[in-house]
Amino acid sequence: MNQQNDVSAGLHSAASEEGCHIFNTHGCGFQPPGTSLFFPEPYLDFGIPGTAGITKYFVVLTLALLISAGFWYFTTRNAKVVPSRGQSLAEMLVEFIRNQITRNTMGKEGDKYLPLMVTMFVFIFAMNIMGLIPIPGLQLPVTTSLAIPTMLALFVYVLWNGAGIRRNGVGGHLKAHLVPGGVPKPLLILVTPIEALSNFLIRPFTHALRLFAVMFAGHLLLAVFAAAGFYMFNPLTEMGAALGAVSVGYSALALIGFLVFTVFELFIMAVQAYVFVLLSSVYIGQAVEGAH
Amino acid sequence: MEITGSLATIGYGLAAIGPGIGVGIIFGMGVQAIARQPEARGVLQTQMIFGFAVVEALAILGFVLALIQQ
Repeated sequence: MNQQNDVSAGLHSAASEEGCHIFNTHGCGFQPPGTSLFFPEPYLDFGIPGTAGITKYFVVLTLALLISAGFWYFTTRNAKVVPSRGQSLAEMLVEFIRNQITRNTMGKEGDKYLPLMVTMFVFIFAMNIMGLIPIPGLQLPVTTSLAIPTMLALFVYVLWNGAGIRRNGVGGHLKAHLVPGGVPKPLLILVTPIEALSNFLIRPFTHALRLFAVMFAGHLLLAVFAAAGFYMFNPLTEMGAALGAVSVGYSALALIGFLVFTVFELFIMAVQAYVFVLLSSVYIGQAVEGAH
Repeated sequence: MEITGSLATIGYGLAAIGPGIGVGIIFGMGVQAIARQPEARGVLQTQMIFGFAVVEALAILGFVLALIQQ
């Protein structure tokens, strides 16, 4: 154990001095990327307490905003009856959200919320996809900052409560979410607090955390694969050419894993944007529908 | 033998068992339902994803707790 401590103490200095790769002679071990990835140093710090200043997130968020706005600008600027290629892509997206999400959860009434849902889907997907677009130094999904999903989830929380109160009144709205139909009266003492907790407290919490945690874990996974591939690539090792060849083989395996998980991540990003919009739509639909 | 590291990681592994089983059941049953009644696919798919999201929340809470316990 003592020896191990010495090795790890030596490793920190070695890692900072020169490139640290597998099969080295100075006892340098693998340092996996940690959560510090998601707390970048601010470019500009105004020193206001409780704020982070202008960080990487700000720049990437602006880019994501431009991408999602640019998508709509370039696909719909000359809208025609016979759609061009870009316009039909945008139309397919809107129809997909309408048929798969809003019509299924809110019926015809959901068409009122369709523009919001489509905008939210494209914006969240653009924020997620920033983790896969290789801009040097700016490859980071914006949704890995908890603030962004939290604001979106709070917005949806206010929206569904507002819509429910406007449609059913305060009493009807509370009854729909606190008193589930078909429960015997005495049991309500138990059920109502649980419903209150799950509908009004845990719901917005998990709504935001779902998007955040999945993107966070996915980005960390990709970072580990990339760092491991770099660490294991050491063809000119001092320990001989055979081990050098082995290290290249290891590194190739890490590269394959990285590519496979990049494709998987792309799928997850789309699914998470879809799930976020679906849940928003379900919440609004339940609130508008009222008690039954 | 001395083992170092955080128990929180094992805690997350335990927290992922339940949602893993749950998600499997949801999609298995969902595919079965679609196979029996393909015309109900749209509604079933939405319900499947909704159920998946609700079950997945448990695993996500475990993940977040594992991270803040570090």
